[in-house]
Amino acid sequence: MTDHLSAIAAQLGHGLLLTLALTVLVFAGAVAVGVLLAVLRICPVSPLRAFGAAYVGVFRNVPLLVLLVLFVFGLPDLGLLYPLFATAATAMALYWAAFVCEVVRSGVRAVPRGQVEAARALGLGFGACLRCVILPQAIRPMVQPLGSIFIGCAPSTSLAAAVGVAELTGQSQFVTLRYDQPLTTFAITTVVYVAITLTSALIAGRVERRLAVAR
Amino acid sequence: MRTRRLLTAACVPATLALTLTACGGGSAALPSADGSADGSSSASGDTYQQVLDAAPVAAASQIPSGSLMATIKKRGTLVVGGTDTAALFSLKDPVTGKLTGFDAGLAAMLAKYITGSTKTKLVQVDVATREQLLRNGTVDTVFATYSITPERAKKVDFAGPYYSSGNAILTKKGDTAITSVKDLNGENVCAQSGSTAAGNIKNFAPKANVLLFDGNSQCVQAVKQGRADAYVNDQALLVGVQYRDSSVQVVGKPFTTDPYGIGVPKQDPEMKKFVDAWLKTIETDGLWAKLWKATLGTAVTGAAPKPPVIGSAEGS
Repeated sequence: MTDHLSAIAAQLGHGLLLTLALTVLVFAGAVAVGVLLAVLRICPVSPLRAFGAAYVGVFRNVPLLVLLVLFVFGLPDLGLLYPLFATAATAMALYWAAFVCEVVRSGVRAVPRGQVEAARALGLGFGACLRCVILPQAIRPMVQPLGSIFIGCAPSTSLAAAVGVAELTGQSQFVTLRYDQPLTTFAITTVVYVAITLTSALIAGRVERRLAVAR
Repeated sequence: MRTRRLLTAACVPATLALTLTACGGGSAALPSADGSADGSSSASGDTYQQVLDAAPVAAASQIPSGSLMATIKKRGTLVVGGTDTAALFSLKDPVTGKLTGFDAGLAAMLAKYITGSTKTKLVQVDVATREQLLRNGTVDTVFATYSITPERAKKVDFAGPYYSSGNAILTKKGDTAITSVKDLNGENVCAQSGSTAAGNIKNFAPKANVLLFDGNSQCVQAVKQGRADAYVNDQALLVGVQYRDSSVQVVGKPFTTDPYGIGVPKQDPEMKKFVDAWLKTIETDGLWAKLWKATLGTAVTGAAPKPPVIGSAEGS
């Protein structure tokens, strides 16, 4: 068993790297798309608002696993065959973007209406008003909800294992098939996931305090 | 494992029926519009029937009075434990009501050997009930892709093995790059995440890039879409996939060994000897290979394999 340990550690380590890469990519993608969607949802053009609402309606109400299977096995039927990792990361980023959008939107909505009216009275346009007045104040209430999304996002990357991405959970399945120690393997995997999420909670707390000081 | 495999096998028709869109080729059997799967009866059904017609009948001296065989002969039908949903092994034609397939053919031939007629009575069995039904005498024999294991051999006798199954390879139709398990090195190979196939691939082709998918249909889909070059699973399951989807093929012989035996009651030891002797007869006169060609041979590439040596499996 001891000579297997290094092999198992290497395998799980490789899986961990993929999980971290997937989590960071998914979260970054989700924030980018989510902010864009939030802008659409609060902008004055009604078709764009409708699009934003429809996007959130669709992506937030389809289970992530279903979305993954649709992307991984549906897109190739339309002639779009991308690597598994990229496909899974895209599907997840699009899914979490819907949640990020709502967090950003509620953060913006938390800024009192008078602030917007004052900005308008000073002659700021939609963009400048958003950039200089609303966002700086809106970011503070967004920090913890975004942290929660990150925490939800990290363990949810394990669903990628179901569609063939050999990240941490996928590698655990391999190790289990090979050495038949399912409890030990999944216990280790769980500890790693918890370590990731606890760390991100800590970081979110730090960021929150930083921003609070700046007030 | 075994339960899961059978469950998956049972789910294959349902899922594939949903995912099947186009049916290229057309040489292999596909369910027609009315739901009947009669490819083997039109393309090679005559051969299947011819094999049964050519099957031998035992001499009266081989059936001593008081034996289980004598009881069966007197009754006139062989009671077989099996299934009617395993494509190419034992599948019921919904129109004619006849069972066809490798297991069904062997059962009919054994029935003819004892009673003179290929008539059998099917009793549905599953993994949990096979041993029990043999022990309490409900069935005379079990033909049901029944893997011989020492554990099961404590409860029932196994004649055979009559077929050596195991992990096989499924590829896209017309793919000639993969002909054996060694060719999987360096290729993308998918396997079902619950099956032992992934470990076997690593043992036989260490350089293969293994992808794990949750379901059988996802693995098939991955091969069809080119995401994976091959799919490894139990041969009995893969031939069922090929039977319903002619855009894929099952390549060559299994590369692991999973011997299938004919279950017979332990309380009638003469039955095992009798069935072994019958199996030897049909293997020597070539009927075994002909039956393989008419059933499994329609889905698996290459010539009929050599039947496994009788008594070679632990527990047989």
